[in-house]
Order: sequence, then structure tokens, then C-alpha cells
Amino acid sequence: MAVCIAVIAKENYPLYIRSVPVQNELKFHYTVHTSLDVVEEKISAVGKAMADQRELYLGLLYPTEDYKVYPSHMIIVYYTPVCMFFILIENILLYRHTRYGYVTNSKVKFVIVADSSNTSLRDNEIRSMFRKLHNSFTDVMCNPFYNPGDTIQSKAFDSMVSAMMVQAS
Amino acid sequence: MSIPDYMQCAEDHQTVLVVVQPVGIVPEDEFFRIYKRITSVAQVSIRDSQRNLYIRYRHHYLPENNEWGDFQTHRKVVGLISVTTCGSAKEWPQTSDRFHCQKDVFGATLYDSRLLVFGLQGEIAEQQRTDVAFYPSYDDCPDVEKRVEDFVESIFIVLESKRLDRATDKSGDKIPLLCVPFEKKDFVGLDTDSRHYKKRCQGRMRKHVGDLCLQAGMLQDALVHYHMAVELLRSVNDFLWLGAALEGLCSASVIFHYPGGTAGKASGREPSLAHGQGQAADAGKRHRPGALTANGISADTSSEIGRAKNCLGPEDIIEKYKEAISYYGKYKNAGVIELEACVKAVRVLAIQKRAMEASEFLQNAVYINLGQLSEEEKIQRYSILSELYHLIGFHRKSAFFKRVAAMQCVAPTIPEPGWRACYKLLLETLSGYSLCLDPKDFSKGSHRGWAAVQVRLLHELVYASRRMGNPGLSVRHLSFLLQTMLDLLSDQEKKEVTQSLENYTSKCPGGMEVLTLPDGLKLPPVPLSKLPIVRSVKLLDLPVSLRPHKQKGLLENNMSSKSPFIYSPIIMHTRGEERTKKIEFRWVQGDVCEVQLMVYNPMPFELRVEHMGLLTSGVEFEALPAALSLPAESGLYPVTLVGVPRTAGNINISGYHTSVFGVTSDCLLDGLPSVRTSGCVVEVIPSLPRLQLSTSLPRPFSSRLSSSVSVQLFNGETQQLTITLENIGSEDLETLEVTSKTCNTKEKLFGEFLSWDLEEAVSQLPLKPGQSVTLTVNVKVRLDFSGGENLLQDLNDDGISVTGLPISSPLRQVLKPRAETKPLGSESSKTDYNHVKTLEAVMTFKYSGGAGKMEGYYRDLSLGVHVDVEPSVFFTRVSTLPATRTRQCHLLLDVFNSTEHELMVSANNNQDLVLHPSECQRMAIQVAKFDFHTLPQPDQEAVRYTNPKLLEEERLHAQASMISSTLGSLSVSLSLSLSLCSSSLDVVVNGKPCDCDIIADCKVGDAVPLEVKLTNRSKNAVGPFALTVVPFQDYQNGVQNYDLQDAVTFIGSNTFYIDMVKPTENSACMGALLFLYTGDFYLNIKFQDDSAGQGKELPPSWFGLPSVHIKALEAPIEAGA
Repeated sequence: MAVCIAVIAKENYPLYIRSVPVQNELKFHYTVHTSLDVVEEKISAVGKAMADQRELYLGLLYPTEDYKVYPSHMIIVYYTPVCMFFILIENILLYRHTRYGYVTNSKVKFVIVADSSNTSLRDNEIRSMFRKLHNSFTDVMCNPFYNPGDTIQSKAFDSMVSAMMVQAS
Repeated sequence: MSIPDYMQCAEDHQTVLVVVQPVGIVPEDEFFRIYKRITSVAQVSIRDSQRNLYIRYRHHYLPENNEWGDFQTHRKVVGLISVTTCGSAKEWPQTSDRFHCQKDVFGATLYDSRLLVFGLQGEIAEQQRTDVAFYPSYDDCPDVEKRVEDFVESIFIVLESKRLDRATDKSGDKIPLLCVPFEKKDFVGLDTDSRHYKKRCQGRMRKHVGDLCLQAGMLQDALVHYHMAVELLRSVNDFLWLGAALEGLCSASVIFHYPGGTAGKASGREPSLAHGQGQAADAGKRHRPGALTANGISADTSSEIGRAKNCLGPEDIIEKYKEAISYYGKYKNAGVIELEACVKAVRVLAIQKRAMEASEFLQNAVYINLGQLSEEEKIQRYSILSELYHLIGFHRKSAFFKRVAAMQCVAPTIPEPGWRACYKLLLETLSGYSLCLDPKDFSKGSHRGWAAVQVRLLHELVYASRRMGNPGLSVRHLSFLLQTMLDLLSDQEKKEVTQSLENYTSKCPGGMEVLTLPDGLKLPPVPLSKLPIVRSVKLLDLPVSLRPHKQKGLLENNMSSKSPFIYSPIIMHTRGEERTKKIEFRWVQGDVCEVQLMVYNPMPFELRVEHMGLLTSGVEFEALPAALSLPAESGLYPVTLVGVPRTAGNINISGYHTSVFGVTSDCLLDGLPSVRTSGCVVEVIPSLPRLQLSTSLPRPFSSRLSSSVSVQLFNGETQQLTITLENIGSEDLETLEVTSKTCNTKEKLFGEFLSWDLEEAVSQLPLKPGQSVTLTVNVKVRLDFSGGENLLQDLNDDGISVTGLPISSPLRQVLKPRAETKPLGSESSKTDYNHVKTLEAVMTFKYSGGAGKMEGYYRDLSLGVHVDVEPSVFFTRVSTLPATRTRQCHLLLDVFNSTEHELMVSANNNQDLVLHPSECQRMAIQVAKFDFHTLPQPDQEAVRYTNPKLLEEERLHAQASMISSTLGSLSVSLSLSLSLCSSSLDVVVNGKPCDCDIIADCKVGDAVPLEVKLTNRSKNAVGPFALTVVPFQDYQNGVQNYDLQDAVTFIGSNTFYIDMVKPTENSACMGALLFLYTGDFYLNIKFQDDSAGQGKELPPSWFGLPSVHIKALEAPIEAGA
């Protein structure tokens, strides 16, 4: 039930982001983007406290990330150049998402957003997902035709991510 | 209590609340001016004690909130200052009434109140009243601050008395139960005598006293009271008040630990007042009781003892806050209190730099439900959340909430959407999404960031700015979107964005000026350098004919080097230098100069670029803008931009100017690192005249030369070429030089190919603009078309050669065509001769004038002359025949007409020879022999030279040719027969020199003197010789009769001896002949080399022996007899 998996570069821009409900991808962009604050905070805290310790898993970023108390129909005026129309988009606030973070030694971050309505996900499952993600990412980096810093366009990585999402859901 | 005060912070607990309000009609700005002055008295140190009183002013306060004053005393309005205008004494009672009404609103809690009356003068104003102050006007109120201080002091007195009253009221049997508004009904009918109830009363009162102590500046007492209250309330499970007591404890500890305050600058306590910051600034200086002073010892030593145990540590503060908030959370009606406590805790955590925990508090605050919020409250709530996130360094979260707030401003449920506020809030989110509106930040490499989010934000900015009625901003944002996010937009989006951009620009064209927003934010201009994308910029040289050249002599001045060293191994290889490096060629003032750009259109549709021009610096430059239309997804497309420099100097092509979709942009090359350029600085020299060349001949093809003419000529033909030079520039033409250079060096060219007379043209200088001058050039072609080696074949080897000697006819024509005799040879030779040879030359006109001439520049105009030379007449063979006279000979020439026309050849003897096309005829020309040695240098070169010269003279229309002068050196072997013999023999008969065709007359019976003179022309001495003269008769039928002893007799010997003759000398021998009969006699002169005595006869050809023809006539006497 991972609904979104993102790889964030050291400079905090997305290298890869993929979500399951494709039609509302922007929502996940926002979700992952805001969770970077915590990731950074955690990294800096770790850096201060125990530089040697090689725990890459950051754990829960926002444990109960649901904006359930918010007005349920937050209307965002969206604009497209040809015709303007109002779309109900920001139901982002209604989702209950749990975000998990993971940071590699090269400060590349992985964020997994899970649907928290499903509580069967245990900590070590998340860990193993991250480990798989890390391995796959390492493969991508090993590709001599990949420029570090470019967005990831790898079929192998893609299929691994989608497998992860399917398997989890 | 429904409206939370998001600005609250922990130290607000020690303040007393004073409400400042206008009464009646007070101009708003005047009120706020007074309000500002009043609020400057935020802290008053009380006389006779070391305590300070802090005042919190509000100009608006809900009485509803006031009801919570018992719960937390800083929420209680204790002072009221009213500001009013009173024009006359009549109005005074009314004003006074109003003031009393207002007092009643907060009546129950007020300690004291003041009325400031402005504008009233006279009797009433004279009264000395403590609660009313009169001022003549808003400008004339010097002691407002003093009044407020007095007022605050009076409040303090009441406060202090209350505190003492409550604090000492321990033994009082009846402690009133303090309660919050919503509790009141819960306690109806409760047993007031139970221990539980009493404890509750005690605890709440303790807490209340703690609040009062804190407000009165007695921090230590407050801490003690709070601790006691916590214990009391905990035992009775009075959670709401327990929370309040814990919060009070936290506040007191925070005040103790962080004397600088927790509000921070970012929170902006009172947005309308800059004063808020001033307060924060001096907050650090103010002395707090109980806090450590500079020397580390508190003034109040008694409180020193209890501090350590009463005051909470930083960790504990947070723990206690958590606890308090969790207690508040149990009461639905205390949502505001809970929320405010969260905000306060976050501020404390922000100071402690514990972002993670702070975010947890904030998270909690987000979930606190305050019931139905108004839209305005929502906006306020989101923006305060955003601010708090910003405070703890969570910029992304902050941006997220700010954006939500912005969206809330324009929610459809709001009747009047605040687009302006929305736009302002959206702008503030930019930093959180790491987006900067300066396009320069995006010029470096590919875009990296949260593209989807950023594109969305930009779209929102565009829409908001449009709705707030500022299309200029929309255009700016849209162009920014196009410029920076172009790669990330889909084709459909690109189309839509550009369409709407065009819509907006029709109302408000986009420009390059910096847009300044009301709040001071500057929107830098966005040059659309990606529409189209420019790949390279190349400055083009002027066309060849207009390129200026520097006079050679002035080159030294140009060698200005920066370094004093002739050679330096240090070469500057910086990119910047490359960019600005100067270009070899020069431009000329007043001439159209070109710059070539390679552009391509990244859009999926046709792109119209208008007013594309050059941006330059350094020189006044008139750019001539171009409009172009690039097809969709075009490849690299060359575009030439032109312009005219108007002054001289160094011009720097700094960029280009475009107008796309109604947005004009100036794209500077410095900001476009992807553009390749070979240098942008070029020297512009002063103006020079410009010549246009036209010729009388057609121009068949364009060549790399500026112009060229082509003409077809037969070999030897001359044609006149008229060249007209017109000055089409704006400067006078002052000098003109003409030179020519033949390009084709393979061909042997004889004589002057191009010749002209410049004198006439030069005499017309200086040439004013618009005038023209003509020059006539003669084009002459003289080429060697001869076959070369077979030319010199001996004519004797073919059957048609004439061998008979002597030939009486001087010119002998052999009418037999050569083709008949030698078909094969002529066939091959024909193909050889048929080809057309080309001759090319370049005429260069070097001219100068005007200001450019002063600087030593000139221009070249070149005219290519291309001549196709067709062969006309060949001499296929040349040979000689001896003529009848020893001093002359016959030159035999096989003349071949290779043209398709009938032609006539005439030689010097005016005898015309008509040749039909492809006909070959032999002609003989009688030429005089000449002295071989007197020729200047009859070497091989001369042979080559003279041979074609001879040939060309016999041309289609040539009327005369002087062969004799040059014939001698046709070739070495030929010249043997052509030249005079090494020794020549002159025979003088009867006093007359005698030669072949001269018949010497003599009379029979007379002695005919005969003189034979030998002249040595060789370089060696010759002789001695024996010379024998033998007479004979020729019957003209091949029979020669030598038996003439009867007819001719010699007087003396017929044999002479000639001694050795030295070079150039001569020797003569005399004899006489006597003819006995009439008749034609010939003399045969034979030589014998007598030197060795062997008497060998020498061939007559060595000496060029003349045959002497003597006609003996009958003597007239005899005839007479």
C-alpha cells in the first residue's frame, strides 16, 4: 500500500517520483515536498549526534499525517490558459498518509508514502522496501550512461517500484 | 471565547491588558498616531521598587474574551484609554457619557481608565481631572506618554493591592470559586462545604495569585504560587485549571530563561506597527526581577534561594506544556486556550531550536477544532501556521500553508475574493518552493526543482494577478513560466500558455522594465531567450568588395600590445576573454553590417518573431529589425540581423532584441552560456566611399569576386571593355588605383592582356556621391595554340615540298590541302587545336576617400575578367626554302583555319590568302635573311617568345605582318638556313653587285671586271681558300653546258687564292671575263680549302654562294658595224 515512492537528490529536488493514483500526482508532489522539511531536520540531528552510526532509515516522518479536521471541500482555483475552471483538487488534506524516510550516505533521500488506513504495514517491512529501493538505485547509479543528478529514467527501476507498490497494495 | 490570538507568546502572561479605543468620531490616522505614542509606553518601572510593569495594548478586544480574565489574568482588561475629539464645550457632556458607556463594557474588570480629549479648549479644559486629559489638537499633546505612565502606575497600585489582598487572604474562611464562563452552570448546586470544593477553590485562587504576582513583576512568588496551585489542583482533578497552572509555571520559567522574549521578529506581533519590533529589541535590555544581572547576583537575594527548585528547566518547560495542552484538550470549549498554548510552546521550542518537537506541537494545533470558523479566521490560521513553520525552519511546510491561506482568500464561498491578498501570499510562498522570479537563476544548466509544483504555483500567480486586474504582472509571470519551465511543459500546455500570453499582451504588452510591486518586491524582466533558442552568434564580414583594408605603411600603429614583452608564455585562456575577443575584420561606418544567428524553434507550432534586432554598445548603431517566422520544431535556422553603425569605434554586440507573442525581450549574450560565439567586438572604422561597378559586357555568372565579366574571343582578337564606376556611397572618392593580375598562369600569354588608360578617369576625381567615371580597358588575347614539337618538321619530307632551285616566283602557294596528303596526322592535330582555352584575370580597383582615408583605409573592388579564347589560325608546320637571292629566303608556313568561318590571311606583301573552314594551306613568305649573331640573344626563351608572336600577327583580320624582323630565330636548326652564312661571298660583276635574280648585263668583247669579296662573319678566321670561277650555260632543260672555252675566256686566271681571313675582315680578288658570244651565262664559284693542301671542295651552302647570271649582249658597235 505504498501509494507514492520518491527519490530526492542531495540538493532536494526530485530525481524520481511515482504514485499510484496517477490522476492526482500533484498531490503527492506536495506531500513529498513538505516531508522534506522533516527529513532535513532528522538528517541534521543525526549528523550532530552520531555521525558514525550508519542508520539510514529515518523512520516515520509525519506519523499521523492526516488533515481530517480541515474543511473537507477545500477548493483551489486552478487555472488553465484556455479556459478557467474550478476544480476540486485539494482533497490532499483528506488523505491519511504515513510517510517514511530513508537517506543514503550520499544524502539522496527516499520517501515512501503509505496509506495509513492499512495498519498491517510493519516497521521491518518498510525497512526492507527501502533496502530494495536502495539496491535498485545503486544499480541505476552504476549505469555508465546515467549522469548523477538527472532524473531517473530506468525501466528496471520503474518495474521495481511498481512491483513494490503492487505487492504492498 | 472563540477567536484565538495567534500572536500570543509566553511572556504575555506577565503583562496587563489595556484597551485603547476611540470614542465618537476620531479620524483613523489620528487615532493610530496617538495609539502608537501610547503603545510606546510598554514597560514602566515602578518607583520605590525594582519591579517593572509590562503593558499590552489592544485597540480592539472582545468583551467575551474578557470573561476569561479570572482564568488567566493577562486576558483581563484592566485599563481603558479612550481617545475622543470634542470640538466645543457643548459636546462635552455627550462625550463624557459615551466614555462612561464604554467603561461599562469592561466595567467589572477595569482598574482604572483615562479619557484623552482633543480639540477642546476653554473652561472645561481648565479643570484638573485625573481621569481626563485635554489637548488642544492631535499635534499639540506633548505629555501623552507622561499621562500614560501615570495611568500605568495607578493600575499598578490597584494590581499590587489586589495581589496583596489575595495573597494574604489565607485565613479567610470563604474563598470564592473562580471559574471560566462555560463552567458556571456546572457548579450550580454543588456542595460548597466539601473538602474537595474547598481545595478546588484554594487551588484556583493560588493560581490566580500566581498570575497576579507574575503581572506585578514578582517572578519568584509567582513560581511558588503556581507550584502550590499545581499540587492542589492535581489532587482534585481540576484539569482545566491544572493546565492553566502548569502553563503559568511554564510562562514564568520561560520569562526567567529567555529574557529576550520568545515572540521573535518574524512573528510580527502587531503588523500595523513597526513599534512591535522596537519593543522586541529593547526587550533584551529590560531588567527582570529574579534574573541574573550583569554581575551574576540578583538584586533580590531572598528570592535567589528558591529559584533553583521552583523554576523549570528548558526540558521541563516543554514537558509541562505538553501536559497542560493535554489537559486543555479534555475540554471542547477550551480550544482557543489549547491552541494558544500550542503556539506559545512552539515559540519557545523555536528558541530552543527543537524543530522536530515544535512540529509535533504544530501538528497538534492543526487538529484543534474550533468549530465553524469564518473564512477570515481560516486565512489567519493558515498564515499563522505558515509563519510558525517558518520560525522553526520548515520552509516547505510554511509555503504549503501559506499557499493554502492564499487559496482560502479566494475561496468561492467568499463573496468578494481577495485576489490581492491571495497574490501577496502566493508571492511569499515562492521561497518555500525554491523558486526565484529572476530568470537569471535559471540560466545555469537544466532546471532542477519541483517542477510540477512550481509550474502550478506560477499558474496560480498568473491567474491571481490577472484577477486582481494587473495584466502586466500576468504577462511577466507567464513569460517567466515559458522561459524557465519550457522543457517541462507538454505540447498542449505550451500551446495554451502561449495563447493566453497573446491574449494578455493584447491588453498590456510585456516589456523589459522592472515591475515593482506595492510591497517593494521587484520583478525582474524576463527575456524570452528560448523563443526562439539561439545557438550561435556570428558576426559576418562585409562583402568582399566592401571590405576595408589598411594601408601597409600604417600597420605599425596597429601593433599595440598590452604586454611589454614580445613573447610571453602566459596565455590568457579564460572563457570571458574569448567572448570579448576582437574579430579580425572590420566594419565600416555607414555600411550595412550583418550578424548571423543560428536559431531554432522549440515550440510545436509556428513561431512568429517580430522586431528581431541587435543590441549593441560602444557605437551608435541603427539596428534594422527583421521579422521571421520559424516552422514548428525547426532545426537550426540561419537568421541574419542587419544594422548600420553610425559612428566609428569598437562595437560590442551584446545581445539581441525580440518580440514574441507581444512580449518584447532583450536577450543579452552574457546571460546565455549556451550560445556559441566567435567574438562580439568588432572595430568600426570611419566611413569610406562605395563604388558600384558596371560593365559594357554581360555578367553571365556570379563568382566569388564581386563581379565578373565573361567574353569569348578568337585568339589575337581585341575587344574594348567599358567599365563604369559609380560612387554610391556618401563619401567623396579621392583616390583610385587600378591593377590587374592574371590568374591562369599555365598558359603562355604574350603581350599585355589588359591595358587601360587611367589618366582620364583620375582627372575626374574627387568623385562626388552619385557621380560616375568610366574606364576603357582593352582586352587582347595572344595565346600559343601551336602544337609545339611538330611545328618544326622539315617540310622537305613530304611530297609537296618544292625542291627546285631557283624559284623565280617569290611567293609560292601550294594549294593542295594537307589533309589529303597526311590524313592521319592532320586528324590528330585537329583535335589538339580545337580546344578552347580560358584566360582569367582580376582587375582590382583600389579606392579610398572621406574620413576612412585619413585613418589609412581603402577598399578593393575587383572585377573578374574571364575570356574564352578560341583558336583561329594555326601554323602547323614551318620550314624554309632558299630564295633566289642569297640575302633572302622563303618561309613556308602551313596555315590551318580551325574556325568555322572563312578567313583571309595576309602577310606583309599584301597578298591575301583565303582559307575556308578547316582548311590547311601552305603559304610562303619571302623574308630577308639576317645576321644570326646580331640578334640580341637567340636562346631558347627568345625562340619561344618570338614564335607565337609571329603567329599571332597573321590573324583573321590582320592586314600586315612584319615577319622579317623576327623570323630568324624560329628555331636553332631553322635559323641555319635562314641566317647568312658564316662567310659571305659578294660577287661584283661590271661594278654591280650580283645576286640570283639580278642579271648583270655586259657587252660581247668587253672585259667584264669580276670581283669576288669574301667577308668572314664567323668568330674564327677562315681560309686560305682556292676559289675557281667556272662559267656555264643553263639550257633550262636540265642540261648545263660547261664546255664554253669558245664563248668565254678569262683575262687572267680563273682561279684565285684567298689568304686567311680574320673574323669580320674581308679579302677580295679581282679578275676579268671576256664574253665572245652573246648569251646567258652563269658563273659557278667553287671553293677549295687550301689550308691543308688537299684541295677539297667545299659545299657552296657554307658561303651562301650567289649564282651569278650574266647576260652578254651584242656590242652596239658591232651592231652598228
